Amino acid sequence: MTPAAIGSIIFMAVILIGGLAFCFSRIGKGGGEWED
Amino acid sequence: MEEVVREKFLKRRHLIFAAIGSAIGLGNVWRFPYMCYQYGGAAFLVAYIIGLFVIGIPWLLTEFGMGHYFQKGAPGVFRKIGKKWEWVGWFPSVSAFIIDTYYCVIMAWTLIYMFSSMTLAWGAGAAGAQQAGDYFFKTVLRLSDSPGTLGGLNWPIVGALAFTWIVIYLVIYRGAEIVGKVSQVVMTLSWILILAILIRSLTLPGAVDGLNYYLDIDWSVLKGPDVWFAAFSQIAFSLSVGMAGMYAYGRFIAKKSDITNNTVITSLCDTSFAFLAGFAVFSTVGYIMQAMGVSLQDVTIAGIGLAFVTYPVGISLMPALNQLTGVLFFLMFWLIGLSSAYYLAYAGYIVPLVDKFGWNRKKVAFWGCLIGFLIGLLYCTQGGLYWLDIVDRTVAFYTLLIGGAIASLVVGWVFGARKLREHVNATSDIKVGPWMDILIKIVVPVGLVFVVIYGGFMQDLKKPYGGYGGWSNFIWIILLVVLIASFVLQRMKSKKEEE
Repeated sequence: MTPAAIGSIIFMAVILIGGLAFCFSRIGKGGGEWED
Repeated sequence: MEEVVREKFLKRRHLIFAAIGSAIGLGNVWRFPYMCYQYGGAAFLVAYIIGLFVIGIPWLLTEFGMGHYFQKGAPGVFRKIGKKWEWVGWFPSVSAFIIDTYYCVIMAWTLIYMFSSMTLAWGAGAAGAQQAGDYFFKTVLRLSDSPGTLGGLNWPIVGALAFTWIVIYLVIYRGAEIVGKVSQVVMTLSWILILAILIRSLTLPGAVDGLNYYLDIDWSVLKGPDVWFAAFSQIAFSLSVGMAGMYAYGRFIAKKSDITNNTVITSLCDTSFAFLAGFAVFSTVGYIMQAMGVSLQDVTIAGIGLAFVTYPVGISLMPALNQLTGVLFFLMFWLIGLSSAYYLAYAGYIVPLVDKFGWNRKKVAFWGCLIGFLIGLLYCTQGGLYWLDIVDRTVAFYTLLIGGAIASLVVGWVFGARKLREHVNATSDIKVGPWMDILIKIVVPVGLVFVVIYGGFMQDLKKPYGGYGGWSNFIWIILLVVLIASFVLQRMKSKKEEE
């Protein structure tokens, strides 16, 4: 795999996994529960 | 009417699954990967992420937030802002109905392919790869030579279409509670299937070559308008905004649910699915290139051709598990289509009709599905593919973008972006600042107008769309019909007024 492709994967992984991890970590901290 | 006012998703996760299900659609598989390859790989991804945060998320937040604030579907929201603005809510609602009429036909093709995959009806091995195109266009569609030649109905497609509409009716007729529960199952299954297909595709020889094409970098494209047009348009089509339904889903959110967090989760999950789908698509394309000794230019990598010609070619050539891969791929395709189709039906036009006229939900759902099926018969004819393309250009491009821009302007300037922000912040853990006002009032409408002018009017006024000659003018006729229908619906008396 080319360095460009690897770089693209890392970029998207940081944004998507990081973003989703942040959002799911905030669930239940004052803004409504997962099960509400 | 009372029954609908109290309607809610039973759990927060049902809303999340329903919203993700509505956002993830066929375009995630057949448009995003192609756009990424075509517009500079990582450069497109950068433009897409920027567009997601400055246009997609603010737009989705607006629709969720307004639906939640007024507890209404799209027309009800704009009627509450001002009686003269109600048409702004009907405009995407009518579009949602029209989109659903042909979207379900594509799902019907998918269903046919799911069964065809069991026997590799287009052929196995190299012979099957050669025949895949003919199988789709000549055997399944029996495609005529122009939109003017409708020919007869393709009965297998009619049967599959009827089945699809029956399933949609069964999902929606009991309201948001069942929609939420079904969405949880459908979306979980879709993610499992895309991961299974991804693993299968990545293990094919030549897969890495395909991925190198998918994710190559060309930073120079960021200087031109094309990549921004591609990214913004993909975001607009992908998030299922501008189709009225997110207002209704916003209204079904529990009072204390976190609107901002729900919005960001929906947007990122939609992008994740599209990004992963790109791996499945380009791994398979890489395999086809190696197996057939052809270049990427010889392979269709976008749109209907990707799903119904290229992927079947890949299935024919696979060294093992051909039938199973085909069935799983088309089942996944049907499921992601289903979650968008019942979203369009229920949240897009059934909730607004029940809201306004106080009609019985089950009856509206029945007649909505039946009329949708009957109109869909046009696309089951031999000239149906041409009409599908023309109608799609109108309602999934022009009305979606124009309607979205007008809605943003009305919410931002008439209702007040600040008021919306304060309401959203009152329910949310993640607070948005005054910068969101600027995005809603200026950036979203300007971005959408840029897409509609650059990718729409500047192309279609220069040269008839799709090479259909005079038939392309139906784009403007349908656009006018949607606009007139929106004003007619605004003028019709609601149940409350009649009383």
